[in-house]
Amino acid sequence: MSDLDAAVVRRSLRALILTPAALAPLVAAPAFAAPPEAWPDAEATSALDYLLVLLVIPLGLALVIALLASVPSMVRGEKYTPGQAWRNENEWFGGPKDGLEAADQTDVKAVEAGEADRGGASARW
Amino acid sequence: MGQVHAGDAFTPQERYDIDKAIRDAETVSRYEFSVFVGASEGETRPFAERLHATLTAPERSVLVMVDPAARILEIVTGSEVHRDLEDGEVDLAALSMQSAFAAGDLVGGITRGLMMLAEHARRPRMLHADG
Repeated sequence: MSDLDAAVVRRSLRALILTPAALAPLVAAPAFAAPPEAWPDAEATSALDYLLVLLVIPLGLALVIALLASVPSMVRGEKYTPGQAWRNENEWFGGPKDGLEAADQTDVKAVEAGEADRGGASARW
Repeated sequence: MGQVHAGDAFTPQERYDIDKAIRDAETVSRYEFSVFVGASEGETRPFAERLHATLTAPERSVLVMVDPAARILEIVTGSEVHRDLEDGEVDLAALSMQSAFAAGDLVGGITRGLMMLAEHARRPRMLHADG
C-alpha cells in the first residue's frame, strides 16, 4: 500500500470516529421528567431571593476579599507603585543641612575635582 | 538633615528604617552614606555627582540617588570609597535595589542596597599586619 493510500485511510477513519462524537450533543434532547408525586411542592422563590443569592452575596464576598487583600499595604502605608508618578517632596537622608540649596551652591570645580577617582553605578527599573 | 516634611513620601517608620540603614552601613564600613529620594534637576548622573560633591567629605562618601518618578537609580562613590568598593560590587547592589523597586518596595530596596554596599565596602581585617 502506498503512503498516499495509508494517509487517506487514516483520515477517513478519523472522520468516521469523530463525526458521531460531534453530532451526539446536537442530536441529544435534554432529559425532562416530572418530579415524583411523593415530593413536596417546592416553595416559589421570589425574584428578590434570586437577586440575593446570585448577585448580592457573590458581590459582597468579592468586596470583602478585595478589602482583605489590600489591608496589609494600607496598614504599612505604601504609597509608591511602580509606574505611578511621584508627587512627593524630595528627601535627602544624611545630606547637608540646607538640602538641595547646598547642592545648588556647589561650584563646578568641586564636582570636577572628584571626577577622576569617582566610581558608582546607574540603573533603571 | 534639616527639617523633615512629615507625611509626604515616607511614614515615620519608613524614615526611621532608612536612617537606621544609613547608620548601620556607616558602622559596618566606616564610610559615610547618604540617600537622596526625589526628582533630579536636569541630567541624573551629573545631578547625582553634584549632590555627592556637596557632602561634607565626598571622597569618603557614598551617595545613593533614587528618582522614583523617572525610575532611575544612581550610586556615586567617592575616590577613597572607590578603592574598597569596586564598580562591579556597586552594580550588584544596584541590581538588587532595582528589582526591589520594580516590585514597588522603595524602602526595602534602599535599606538592603545600603547594607550590600556597606558589606562590600568593608575593608578586610588585616590578619598578618606585623608579620
